[in-house]
Amino acid sequence: MSRRIAVPVFPGTNSEDETVRLLRDCGGDARLVHWSQAETLGGYDAYVLSGGFAYEDRIRAGAIAAHDRIMDFVIEGAERGKLVFGICNGAQIVLEAGLVPGTGPIRRPTAAFTDNAPAAHFVCRHVYLKLTIEPSRCAITASLPSSALIPAWAAHGEGRLAASDEHLREIVDGGHMAFVYAHADGVADERAVPNGSALGCAGLVNRAGNVLAIMPHPERDAWNFNHLDRRTGSNALAPSGGAVLFESFVRAVERA
Amino acid sequence: MVNDARPDVALRDDELALIARRLGREPTPVELHAFDAQWSEHCSYKSSRHHLKKLPTSAADVVLGPGEDSGIVHLGEYDGERYGIVVAHESHNHPSQVVPFEGAATGIGGIVRDVLCMGAEVIAVADPLRFGRVDNPDSHQRSVAVGVVDGIGAYGNAIGVPNIAGDVYFDERFDDNCLVNVVALGVVKESEIVHSHAPPDADGWDIVLVGKATDPSGFGGASFSSVTLDAADADANKGAVQVPDPFLKNVLMRATYRVFALLRERGVRAGFKDLGAGGIMGCSAEIASSGGYGADVNLDEVNVALDGMAPEVIAVGETQERLLWVLPPDVTPAVLATYNQEFSLPQIAYNARAGVVGRVTAEKRYVLRHRGRIVMDVDIDFLTGSIKDELPYEPMPEHTLRDADLVYPALSTDEIVELFPKVLAHRDVCSREPLYRRYDAVVRGRTVIPRGASDAGVLAAVPGSLLGVALAVAGNPRYGRLDPRRAAELAVVDAVCKVAATGARPVGLTDCLNFGNPRKAEQYGQMIAAIEGLDRSARELGLAFVSGNVSLYNESKSGSAIPASPIVACIGAIEDVGRTITPGLKRAGNALFVLGNFSPGFGGTVFAEILGTDDDFLPLVEYERLRMELELLRAAHAARIVASCTFVADGGTLTALARAAFAARRVGRDLGVEVSGEALFDETPGFVVETNDVARFTELAGDATVRRVGSVSKTAHFAIDDETLHVADLYAAWSKPLAEIYP
Repeated sequence: MSRRIAVPVFPGTNSEDETVRLLRDCGGDARLVHWSQAETLGGYDAYVLSGGFAYEDRIRAGAIAAHDRIMDFVIEGAERGKLVFGICNGAQIVLEAGLVPGTGPIRRPTAAFTDNAPAAHFVCRHVYLKLTIEPSRCAITASLPSSALIPAWAAHGEGRLAASDEHLREIVDGGHMAFVYAHADGVADERAVPNGSALGCAGLVNRAGNVLAIMPHPERDAWNFNHLDRRTGSNALAPSGGAVLFESFVRAVERA
Repeated sequence: MVNDARPDVALRDDELALIARRLGREPTPVELHAFDAQWSEHCSYKSSRHHLKKLPTSAADVVLGPGEDSGIVHLGEYDGERYGIVVAHESHNHPSQVVPFEGAATGIGGIVRDVLCMGAEVIAVADPLRFGRVDNPDSHQRSVAVGVVDGIGAYGNAIGVPNIAGDVYFDERFDDNCLVNVVALGVVKESEIVHSHAPPDADGWDIVLVGKATDPSGFGGASFSSVTLDAADADANKGAVQVPDPFLKNVLMRATYRVFALLRERGVRAGFKDLGAGGIMGCSAEIASSGGYGADVNLDEVNVALDGMAPEVIAVGETQERLLWVLPPDVTPAVLATYNQEFSLPQIAYNARAGVVGRVTAEKRYVLRHRGRIVMDVDIDFLTGSIKDELPYEPMPEHTLRDADLVYPALSTDEIVELFPKVLAHRDVCSREPLYRRYDAVVRGRTVIPRGASDAGVLAAVPGSLLGVALAVAGNPRYGRLDPRRAAELAVVDAVCKVAATGARPVGLTDCLNFGNPRKAEQYGQMIAAIEGLDRSARELGLAFVSGNVSLYNESKSGSAIPASPIVACIGAIEDVGRTITPGLKRAGNALFVLGNFSPGFGGTVFAEILGTDDDFLPLVEYERLRMELELLRAAHAARIVASCTFVADGGTLTALARAAFAARRVGRDLGVEVSGEALFDETPGFVVETNDVARFTELAGDATVRRVGSVSKTAHFAIDDETLHVADLYAAWSKPLAEIYP
């Protein structure tokens, strides 16, 4: 029996449809789980937290959603080794919940994706995610080639990684830096970073490698029609580009 | 423009007298405010409706013309279903001038509800903007320009609807009256359209109000937007602007999609309408009367944010994020449960909910109750019926200049090279990216061409299908200033051509007529001339207007009105999104042709403005030639020989060539242009077409106006005669100016 993936919907989530559609197009058995059905979440094998503005980003993006009933099941699942993949607002939520980077002995937030810099404005910009860990370090990236480049859209107002020097050191030393921002040619420099993120960080993984949090949206550059000039094959509806990360995730779910 | 005897309303003495005569008594305070809202220009189109009636509203692709909250055009078929694109176009000009962030945000909020209530999934927004002088960072004009953009972004981004098209112009004539137009698109199966009127057999059905708790915000909004703005009034008018809540709207939209599914499962036809101008009263009266019914509404059943609100405030206040259903009573409990339990509206925002507030009646009265008393009881058709202001106007002369009559200044290569970066850096030409980067262009994963990459935005409209939709807007105020009629024609032509440049087939139009004071014969005459222009252009191109809006009184108390601003949106249908023409030069060696752009027009160009020699005339639009150009583009695209296509707009042909190079650069293709034919800064409509097959293109061209202007070169240079510019330098000139305002 195929393993089931939940895409929970918080009040304010806005990227749930394309996230489910791409998971399905990549072979995953994914479905939306609305907040009114949070109690069913325990029955799923993996979780994808999608983009949006859960609880209006009040206090700080992800801060309230991290305490939602939905997260009780996600946190419990993550601690039992289930895969959790947070994208944009989903990434902010798993950081606020302390699942990622999860560098200390107790679960608490040690880093945040917060106000963009230098201008604290929403930014919508095409980017590339560059894999900076060994693919096998994180179950979700295990099927990617080394230094994989994944096209995606940054679309957020609070995507800058911020943490104390000590916690940033732990992030680097502990191999939590899963992705940095890069250009199309793979060069990762300051100009590639859309939001002033510390270390040019675009994504973080937890210690155990089963929880991944990325700010940009690969699911918005994931079908040939999203990038006709970079299409692979003639079918405009075929998944491609950013879909590789979802394919790798679905494979990891089936393997787990 | 307020009534001195009744300073709290904008109704005129003759209107007040008519109301008293028809009622046989003085109106109650609630009735007075109800008529004030319902008979405002904003609701009644009293000085524009009889002129707007001239516009074509039916054509082959029209599914639903004007009259309901949105119009609908046919998109295509997929999996045995016919799909339509729902489109609405409005303005939120006055509120945005007074409270920019909230004014613009609620503009998006309102237009999204107009589309939603047709049973559609909302898939895109667009925003034509006109701002005043923004150079002074401390000016109100600057704060308007920044606040409006941030308001649009904050709202659209949060509800998760991509912003795929728009434009912006800066002109001192917008100092006192910015323009914030908003367009929204939805997609709907044509068999599942929901209408904005009570269905047949609705006698006794429930009137269900959904959404935010009614508060005193937005009281007097309809009549506020129908009077002239004055800086001194601005503070007093702030209360007439509504408060946006995109978080609640996000949930409300998703809950409503669930309700659509529920009603489909049960096979129920319901009425559904957005609450806009005139609040609960306006919405419930219109949904009932347009179905041939009356309505009886109890204001005590309305969920309110404060105790002790006056009945007229509850009745006509324009609190945002509300919708109104007409439902058969046996279905009401399931709908209420969807909103209130499953989507937990009361927990999302204070006292938000869905609840029954009244019922539809066979008797054609409009009755409002409050604390056991009847506070309004009028003939519903008198309240909502069309009233008309026949105002005097000054007919605008028609110019009949042809290209042969116009003189275009001869420029040396040196002069062109010197002017080129200046034209690219002009406020009306330079890159809009610093502005639209604040908008989410890609949420929902359906974006094919995002905002700014091309002349129109393109989306995959229906998941799983190849159907696509293109959207573009146009309305050049430099033209509006010179000749309202021709500006309107060119707004249609430009919007249509922008859509065609993506390979889409133009299928429908919308318009928003932004003008000055209709009680001044000259300003009213501008609007009438513009309507004539829209009419001519749409008929010549075989298209219809399916939705629209009028915004008048865009004049400050000092008497300065905005330039005539007919703003047009065009919707294009694409059968196969995989065949969309993507922006930007593709391959070195390809030939560059200019299609159209035949007339050396000079009036209203950026170039003329830079030279300081603006003349008064816009050239005639020659439709026979334009139709041939559009047909050639279609045929060349069908023959798969169009590598890229760029519309010639502000800044002219040279600018279009540069934009084609910039678009390539953005996606990492370093290509340049070798100019070998005539390419200048004139702005008459046309296309720069890149083709890999000169022989075939020339053969297809037939009698269409085509000229070879150059080739794509393999290095990022821009070569004009013996001068060579660097694309990177031109890009720097073009990309920077707006970053100063939108860092």
